[in-house]
Amino acid sequence: MRGVTALLGPLKYLLLAAALAYPLTPVSDVYVLHVLVLIMVYMVLAMGLNIMPGFCGLLDLGYVGFYGIGAYTAGLLTLNYDLSFWVIVPLAVVNGALWGVILGAPTLRLVGDYFAIVTFGFSELVVLFLTNEIWLTRGPLGLPGIAPVSLDLSWLSTLLHPEWNWRYDFYGETPYYYLGFLMVTVIYVVMRRVEDSRLGRAWLAIREDPMAAASSGVNLFEYKIIAFAVSSGIGALAGAFFARWTMFLSPDMFKFWESFLVLCMVVLGGLGNIRGALIGAAVLISLGEVLRVVLPGLGLPAETRFLAYGLIMVLIMRFRPGGFFTAVAESTLTSPLIMDLRRTLAARKTG
Amino acid sequence: MLEQQLVNGLTLGLIYALIAVGYTMVYGVIELINFAHGEVYMFGAFLCMMFLTVFGAPLIVAVLLSMVCCALMGVLLDVVAYRPLRNAPRLAALITAIGMSIFLQNLAMIIWGSRPLPFVKEALPAFFKVTALSFGDVKISWMQMTIYIVAVALMILLNLIITKTRTGTAMRALAQNRVCASLMGINVNRVIAFTFALGSGLGAMAGIMVSMFYNTMYPTMGYNAGVKAFAAAVLGGIGSVPGAMFGGVVLGIAETLGAGYVSSPYRDGVAYAIMILVIILRPSGLLGRAVTEKA
Repeated sequence: MRGVTALLGPLKYLLLAAALAYPLTPVSDVYVLHVLVLIMVYMVLAMGLNIMPGFCGLLDLGYVGFYGIGAYTAGLLTLNYDLSFWVIVPLAVVNGALWGVILGAPTLRLVGDYFAIVTFGFSELVVLFLTNEIWLTRGPLGLPGIAPVSLDLSWLSTLLHPEWNWRYDFYGETPYYYLGFLMVTVIYVVMRRVEDSRLGRAWLAIREDPMAAASSGVNLFEYKIIAFAVSSGIGALAGAFFARWTMFLSPDMFKFWESFLVLCMVVLGGLGNIRGALIGAAVLISLGEVLRVVLPGLGLPAETRFLAYGLIMVLIMRFRPGGFFTAVAESTLTSPLIMDLRRTLAARKTG
Repeated sequence: MLEQQLVNGLTLGLIYALIAVGYTMVYGVIELINFAHGEVYMFGAFLCMMFLTVFGAPLIVAVLLSMVCCALMGVLLDVVAYRPLRNAPRLAALITAIGMSIFLQNLAMIIWGSRPLPFVKEALPAFFKVTALSFGDVKISWMQMTIYIVAVALMILLNLIITKTRTGTAMRALAQNRVCASLMGINVNRVIAFTFALGSGLGAMAGIMVSMFYNTMYPTMGYNAGVKAFAAAVLGGIGSVPGAMFGGVVLGIAETLGAGYVSSPYRDGVAYAIMILVIILRPSGLLGRAVTEKA
């Protein structure tokens, strides 16, 4: 086992380098790149959702609602006000988080099961709103023609030299691949840091035993609200990216199925496991792409791939409740106390 | 128009009530939102149609067979999916419930296809179309009358089972305190299975009646109806059987009135909005008692 771990170190960097170089190599393919960017969107969603059931033990069934809010915020701001992507992202995140607080403030005081149902109802209301408020969202027609992301530094370049124009528009999949890569990396690092912070420890304490957490001075309600706001904000971030990437939005994209898919990723990777969420996203999106081709060949509608997802969730909860990639907190493994204990135990075994 | 809306709302509401008691009974006994209950309701409609067309059974026989099959399905659901997780964290059971719901929905899609199917018209007795009662403009067909009578009769029967029989007493004991109930010699697993069977049978009946009334059935019908029935259960106070019946009727009427007078595209939204408001403002429901979170 130790040998594998030692090998994993360099291999990890090798894989990372390969992933970074992939779009520039001649073997790169538009379809594969598209799927990879999709995987990245879902990686962000899975990491964001993971905060609720994974860290706090609260089931959020309406995650796609915040994804949709983020996407439509970005789409509408682009179409109506022509704002830059870099301005829209924080606005979308704030809007998502705001709705998280509005919804969470009255409901997070309640028993966990009610929270699941309220979030579900909320996401359904979001879809109904997007479908029916035609004056704002054009309803089922969707929002076409959202401008792609652009990196506009012309103000700086004209300052330096009047004839320079530093403006780059993101066309094709490759720039989005790198933008998505950046987004996943940032969220990943933030999540890892949060996990081991005061905030993350409070969340995990709430998950393990709310009463013990409260008696240790954790303000349950406050930390749950923070968790929900952060989680919703990340969902909205993914939505904003998605809107500027696909350049088209319609209410159908934000149906309950998406929430379920993201939840399935988190469950597959192990509740509360950040790396697991990444792997879960990669596995399920790839599986979905394969099934999309295989199922019609068998004469079945492509939606039936959810049969497999449902089965995965039931089986994982039954046989591997920690997920496929059960996590042990790194701080636990490196803690001198634990290491000492391990050494003593090992010595006792041999002695 | 108002009277006609009320009549239609009552039809819908009684059907919601039949589904809602399934949710509320299971919640009362094992504190689990059985998300797959909506799918049992959907299977009820499809199985009935199958018995009618494939085996050519008479309507009554097909309905009863479908109810029995769904009751068995409910028991199977409990034994296979929920029983192994009885002592696991609640989150695990909840996720399993959603997984089962999605699984069953897609199973139905594979078996019967994703397009809506009509109910078998030939199997319906001819008098269903005839108007039974009419007050001025308001017309109640015999089909609606049948729905009223069957739903009310089933709910009276259910109330008798819960209050008068030994198993019903055991169910109520389990809802109060599972450990204590098992110490009194109650076979906990058997009573839970019975609860699932009872709720699923009623759910199947609701599914059959809805597909008859609207003359359509589709694999995703359980998803919306399930959430609305759950909203009804919450409205009446989850865990309370009379509350679920009451909540179902109120929700059904509110939905038709909302669709008729406020805005018809938001028809489904009415149920969700009521549910969210009730959960926020009065989580114990209209008829329920205040519940504190059990650790």
